[in-house]
Amino acid sequence: MRYLFLMLLLASMTATAQASEEKAVKETNELYGRSLDELVHIETQAKADVGSRGGSRDALVAEVPIDVITAEQLESSGYTELGKVLSKLVPGFNIPRPSITDGTDHAPPFTLRGLNPDQVLVLINGKRQHQGSLLNMNGTIGRGSSGVDINAIPLRSIERVEVLRDGAAAQYGSDAIAGIINIILKGYGHKSSLTGTYGATFRGDGQMRQGDTFLSIALPEDGFVNLTAEARDRGATNRAGADARDNYRVNTHFGDADTQDYLFAVNAALPRGDTTFYLHGTLDRRLSSAGAFYRLKGDSRNIPQIYPDGFLPKIEPKLMDFSLSTGAKGILDSGVTWDLSYTLGYNEFQFYVNNSLNRSLGLATPTSFNSGSTTYLQQIINLDLAKKIGSHTIAGGLEYRRENYRIGSGDVASYTLGSFSDWAAGAQGFGGFMPENKVNVKRDNVAVYLDGKFGLLSWMNLDAAVRYENFSDFGSTVDGKLALRIRPTEDLLLRASASSGFRAPSLTQSNFTSTAMVRNGESIDRYGTFSVDHPVARALGATDLKPEKSWHATAGVVYQPLSNFSMSADYFFTYIGDRIMPTGYIAGWNLENLSPQAAAILKQSGVDGAVYFTNAISTRTHGFDLRMDYKHTFDSSSAIKLAGAYNRSMTKVAKVNTAPTILGVDMTSLVLDPNTRVTIENGQPVDSFKLWTKYESKLFDLVLNLNRFGGYSSTMGNDRVDFSALWTVDAEVTWHIMKHVNIAIGGENLLDAMPDTWGPTSDSITGKNKIVQYSQYSPIGYNGAYYYARLGIRF
Amino acid sequence: MRILTLSVMALLLSVSWLHASDVERRLEAVFLGRFANYIEWPATAKSSFVITLIDENPFGTLLEAIYKDKLIHGKPIEIRYVTRVRDIGKTDLLFITLDTTAARQEAIEYAQKNSILTICESKGFAERGGVIQLNFVGQKTQIKINHDAAVKSGIKIGAPLLSIATVIRGGKS
Repeated sequence: MRYLFLMLLLASMTATAQASEEKAVKETNELYGRSLDELVHIETQAKADVGSRGGSRDALVAEVPIDVITAEQLESSGYTELGKVLSKLVPGFNIPRPSITDGTDHAPPFTLRGLNPDQVLVLINGKRQHQGSLLNMNGTIGRGSSGVDINAIPLRSIERVEVLRDGAAAQYGSDAIAGIINIILKGYGHKSSLTGTYGATFRGDGQMRQGDTFLSIALPEDGFVNLTAEARDRGATNRAGADARDNYRVNTHFGDADTQDYLFAVNAALPRGDTTFYLHGTLDRRLSSAGAFYRLKGDSRNIPQIYPDGFLPKIEPKLMDFSLSTGAKGILDSGVTWDLSYTLGYNEFQFYVNNSLNRSLGLATPTSFNSGSTTYLQQIINLDLAKKIGSHTIAGGLEYRRENYRIGSGDVASYTLGSFSDWAAGAQGFGGFMPENKVNVKRDNVAVYLDGKFGLLSWMNLDAAVRYENFSDFGSTVDGKLALRIRPTEDLLLRASASSGFRAPSLTQSNFTSTAMVRNGESIDRYGTFSVDHPVARALGATDLKPEKSWHATAGVVYQPLSNFSMSADYFFTYIGDRIMPTGYIAGWNLENLSPQAAAILKQSGVDGAVYFTNAISTRTHGFDLRMDYKHTFDSSSAIKLAGAYNRSMTKVAKVNTAPTILGVDMTSLVLDPNTRVTIENGQPVDSFKLWTKYESKLFDLVLNLNRFGGYSSTMGNDRVDFSALWTVDAEVTWHIMKHVNIAIGGENLLDAMPDTWGPTSDSITGKNKIVQYSQYSPIGYNGAYYYARLGIRF
Repeated sequence: MRILTLSVMALLLSVSWLHASDVERRLEAVFLGRFANYIEWPATAKSSFVITLIDENPFGTLLEAIYKDKLIHGKPIEIRYVTRVRDIGKTDLLFITLDTTAARQEAIEYAQKNSILTICESKGFAERGGVIQLNFVGQKTQIKINHDAAVKSGIKIGAPLLSIATVIRGGKS
């Protein structure tokens, strides 16, 4: 009986293999019968570089799940900010639109699979993109983390975005926990273009004017210099409700910041024989303006002689973000490929506050302030080597990285406590960094890695990677990864991976310090956030931060019954230990059981209350991704394409670490207040669905997007509030009015879907028909419908 | 039991899987023959049309499967595989997958002396004297033809093929 089963299995596999081969030959013969013009218009399969050091391979049948978002998809959107565009195309990509959250309004963080912004690694052309210098500290998704400012990358410079849906720290190092986003800039063979876009919301605000150009200059031996320049003026949106305390006047700004972005990108390659010299980089200068909460005329923080009707402090930072990678790569006679590169990344936030005052200075107060700055600099030297040996590829490399994080203090008036108030110190809206908050810290790390891809059998691949890193602040890590791909037939692929990973504590988390002053009798006390090595934090139990450690597993199946139709399903599991979080406000009045020793430390240090970062909890995230792609070419000039994807991600707190004994409270009381727990477990949509459809013809193209953003939750006081899932529809029609000229009109969130409001509350500011009606966590923001027109010229 | 297990393993190991599920490879396989149909070679007495692959074979068994019952210029097609330039011999079309510029240059020079159509994916191939450079950019085919190199090789390229390609003439494209 056993023999019979094996024989049947053998016969079945042989027959399947023959059927696959016959089908491949039949489809290729069908192609042979087409005209040359038809053949050159056939769309080939998406390729991806990410997750392998052996060069590009087919994304669909990679050993780990990878989504590829094409330039065609990216550019068929009315939005021109990369983050917003990806939120419509990548399931599990979440970028809420925070407002009244200080710096976070101006560089909204994004997440993958419901994890944190700093648990995603972003690469440009395979090179690590730097994190921002901003530490998100207000009540937003990603509180306590610094993410990459993805909107600093010009959309028109991008050929494709590769999204690796797996942990890959064993290959790329820190941060690659929720996944990797690899942005490939347009390279060889792209046409130059000019584009102008105008759009506005259904309610008439948020006017967006953008002009951009992509210029490709050919160099000898198929080298190129590609330059992209974009200028974007995005008006503010405002969904603040009327203020019942101020004669029902709308006095607050709650919506998108008013921003002007000047973006630039370069991507160049100069081949010289077997060596190619390359350079690529991006630059964004952003001027931004958003409000704080309104100070009423009778507010004790106002000086009525200056603002008789009260005032809205304007937080107006100037941001600079740039990255540059340069190097050379090639192949030796021995067949060894090599790539030696230097990467520089820089992010700067210079905080300015206008239309404000320092109440404690009385009438002598200025109304505009320089509140200080934060900067982050990253430099990387990297050497990659790879050699193909038969059906195997062995790769390895070395990397050195230096990071530098700085906080610069603001004007004296931006932080000082004058004699006209006991507590309203500094600029209203955003108090400046004090000289004692100044930080200038560096960190070095070196990495050595090996990465092997082994073709065990013609239908079975095994990838194995190991990476050792040493950081100057916390020590060493070793991580590994195994990925197995089995392809029993041409139609079917099974894949599974298991890996460990880590995220180094960011320099911002270890070193961010922001304090303010308050008068306590004759003395002046401090309060705020302290670096982990600050004497006050140390006395309160702070220790050097350890890396977050992670474990990953994925298993999936890809089925491609036709060359133009495929489906995939992948399950994933991610465990993250020692997640780094800010403590709650450590003060006697805030923590009921705070120990007398801790209270005495605060008193002796002249500190009203303190926050610091700590390795606090472990979480477990699991879920699955479903994907379907279909395309059909009717003739040489018309085709239809569909890409559908669904993601479900659920995160739960799995373990809570022990709190420092000196505090006398447990870690749950210290870091996991109800809002923090709900934010971690339910603050982001538990699922999302995307269906991108395009019909293209010689005369016109039609794009239709259907999106579902799953439900999410927040808290009002200590009570959980649930918000419903949202469905949105986007549509765009493009007319090809001349061979190289097209006009598009379209709408994002065409049917004007709006998130749930908070509902009735007892709060004076937040609630239905109050100033803040919508949750910061809404995955689509709260602008409603957005309509646009676009003119494009290719040359 | 052991015999059965070994036989199963042996069979699985010996199965010649067709690594051509990707559209790029299928298109490349098709282009070899389709391009050849638009090209005129100096007259020879060969009874078959010879396609030679030098270095790696990315097509598996696909080329044999699709060209076994086709004709190019009225001749049946023979597929050959070599790893060194000196083994190329008499061929009509040479598909090059050599890794280094020097190795490709040697193949180009051999081809020009022997009226062979050269096709390759490597960047800079056409500028360096190769006849047809085939690339995939943004999931679409791009063809670059060095007309000067074709003339030097003694082969003529038909207008339909030139019309879908970027053509280098007089050293300029």
